[in-house]
Amino acid sequence: MDGEGRGDEVQTIELTAEHLFKSYGSTRALVDVSTTLRPGRIHAFAGENGAGKSTLLKILAGVESADGGTLLLNGKPYRPRNLRDAEEHGIALVFQELTINPSLGIAENIYIDRMRRFSRRFGTLDAKKMRRTAQIIIDRLDIGISVEQDIASLDLGQLKCIEICRALSTQPSLILLDEATAFLGWKEVEAVLAVMRRLREEGVTLGFVSHHIAEVMGVADTVIILKDGANVGELHGADINAETIHTRMVGREVSAELYPARHERAASKTLLELSGIRLAESTEDLNLTVHAGEVVGIAGLKGAGGEQIIAIIAGDQRAAAGAMALNGSPYRPRLPTDGWLAGISYVPGDRAREGLIVDFSILDNLVMAASPHRGPVFNKAKAVDIAKGAVRRLSIKTNDIRAPCSSLSGGNMQKVVLGKCLGTEPRLMLLNNPTRGVDVGARQDIYRAIRKLVDGGLAVLLVSEDLTELLGISERLIVLRRGNVSGSFDLNQPCTEQEVVRCMV
Amino acid sequence: MTTDTLKEEDPKARDLAKSKQMASAVKSQQAARRRSMGMVKNYFPIALLALLCIAFALMNHRFVTLSNLVTVLQQTVTLLVVALGLTFVIIAGSIDLSVGSIVGMATVVAAMTAPSLGALAIIPACAVGLLAGTINGFVFVKGKVPSFIVTLGAMVVYRGIILIFTSGTTISIDDERFVNAFGGNSLGVPHSVVIAVVLTVVCLLILDTTVFGREVRAVGGGERVAALTGIRVERVKIGIYMLLGLLAGVAGVLNGAWSMAATAQMGTGLELDAIGAVVVGGTPLTGGQGSVLRTVLGCLIMVILSNGMDMVGLDPYIQNIAKGVVLVAAVFVTIDRSKISVMK
Repeated sequence: MDGEGRGDEVQTIELTAEHLFKSYGSTRALVDVSTTLRPGRIHAFAGENGAGKSTLLKILAGVESADGGTLLLNGKPYRPRNLRDAEEHGIALVFQELTINPSLGIAENIYIDRMRRFSRRFGTLDAKKMRRTAQIIIDRLDIGISVEQDIASLDLGQLKCIEICRALSTQPSLILLDEATAFLGWKEVEAVLAVMRRLREEGVTLGFVSHHIAEVMGVADTVIILKDGANVGELHGADINAETIHTRMVGREVSAELYPARHERAASKTLLELSGIRLAESTEDLNLTVHAGEVVGIAGLKGAGGEQIIAIIAGDQRAAAGAMALNGSPYRPRLPTDGWLAGISYVPGDRAREGLIVDFSILDNLVMAASPHRGPVFNKAKAVDIAKGAVRRLSIKTNDIRAPCSSLSGGNMQKVVLGKCLGTEPRLMLLNNPTRGVDVGARQDIYRAIRKLVDGGLAVLLVSEDLTELLGISERLIVLRRGNVSGSFDLNQPCTEQEVVRCMV
Repeated sequence: MTTDTLKEEDPKARDLAKSKQMASAVKSQQAARRRSMGMVKNYFPIALLALLCIAFALMNHRFVTLSNLVTVLQQTVTLLVVALGLTFVIIAGSIDLSVGSIVGMATVVAAMTAPSLGALAIIPACAVGLLAGTINGFVFVKGKVPSFIVTLGAMVVYRGIILIFTSGTTISIDDERFVNAFGGNSLGVPHSVVIAVVLTVVCLLILDTTVFGREVRAVGGGERVAALTGIRVERVKIGIYMLLGLLAGVAGVLNGAWSMAATAQMGTGLELDAIGAVVVGGTPLTGGQGSVLRTVLGCLIMVILSNGMDMVGLDPYIQNIAKGVVLVAAVFVTIDRSKISVMK
């Protein structure tokens, strides 16, 4: 009987790619990429957004087919027709996006495409057996989840582990993970990395994409660096170091100055004041002031309340209690529109669903918040000027502002969201994880743009799961724990990550 | 550098050159295919219209006469005016099934007020349309009930109101001022056609050149994004239902002047014809995309298909089958599947 998911007979495979080419329209995603994934090792794919990492993974897993080049599996030609075909060859892919169906149980999610395996006579489902085999796979990862648990009770990291279980249920010898940790908090990331190490011990070959250099350093045996669709170098074992990776992936020296320098300033006037805000009936009063020309960071585990605070300020959610004042006068937003009209712009956490309409053009998205107009008529010429200005100012990589945003890489999409917000000339900007899944180069562009505006008097409230980012660009840091303030730091004094983490957990 | 010289020197380099060649060949093939598919998608409605005209002209010479052209245009106006309003609603990602009933109500109101008001009967007729559309919009937006359900209910309710006022009988319209204003001709051009053309231009300008038009598209393309970007989504949605109600009022007036009567069944099924016309023109029901000119094309296709089949003398039962097939076939060709991830 197959599908029992026992790990003791992992077959080792070696996957070699030779001279892969792939284009999407005029975009060259892969240009002559050759590499080898060796058995029992963890391979990290590093590179900026749009460097071709996801494309490479998709080709290896049969989701996309290459325009040219060959794949060899243990020396034999390998041409996967689709994901299922690749799985039959022992290669499984965990997608970047979460693919869990919340209306099904854990076991159903693991066997979602192979439930027939558990059919009895008359086509009924042997759910008991399915749950039992699913539990065996989960236990293999030692993540302490029971298949009987309600799927809604799992956090994002655990759901990602369920997806890894789904990949494992095909008994793969090679698992590819596309940005498995991009949307996870640091605690959840640890769980996923532990699972990867465990699988390596069992002899499974792994390949993963991550933007977090710390993760790459932590688990990878081999780092394959891609830039503009080409393989620009591989590092092994002890040779792996952050500087080399950064330099190769960006193609120039990335100095330690990822975060632009802060300038000393005299205390400026209070812009926004939250008094007695409660995120839920049961939490304590929360008071917070934001001054013009400063970046206030909000740290905390996922669900600690940071995202909720900025959604409340933006007018997208209501506080359970409390009041807000903007420039000294009461501010009571009923809709996000009220926030925008008051000079508050909002960069939401999910750029593809909340930040921009990906099917619409770069131009349409850039002027959506503040359409230039004469009376009721849209001013097209001015809109083009504004859009071109934003493309230049934020160095958005495109040569056609009428191209749909879906043609851009994640980092550039995020720049479009920022450009949309800046077009309204806001006084306060609310940022929810503005660099999630964004590469180093684009990050640097974004930080620089923010710092320049802050020096010009803009106030920024930043919620982020990336602690180094918070420490790198904030003037002050508030730490939340379950909706309550558990610490605050003045970052003009030295402060370590450990101190902040202690307040978070 | 040629491949021949490489061949002798280095087999690896040869492989490389070969795969590069293959890659570029595949790429240009794909690009060509994509371009030609794009052309087919974009120009299919107009090609279909041309094809229908040529086919019917060959089969029956009376099809190309001036009098038939006028008939076609007159048959198009009511459908077109309703479909213009529906275009906004559909681009915003919603639907309205009650327009047929609203048109019927407007016709009844026009018939009842025409004896005293003459051509000015258009005012109460449009007011009733506007009111009905506003009610739809408010229940949809404030009650947060899906537009399909709201307008499905409204369709039945408004039809019921018509039956109460007409007691199921026909009210004839013989006020000359009214009939001449909306059903007459000047210099051989029907007034109704002029009104429809003016409304088409107005709708075109609203959708393509105003901020409101952009907001309608944004709401249909991504409602959550639009809301978080500060667009007053609720206001936009109520606005499009008001616009549709108003246009349905005008359609009711044109309908009454054309048939010189208001019947209890007037406008029944018009909503489906109008949705069909919008969709045949190439505006998808998923929202965010579409244009007024596409709707004009769609209306002409629907009307010419009926008119031509009548002239050719096709069995009316077969006509229904043909209409349904054309509707599905048009969507099959024109729909842009890359923008729709899940077909529902």
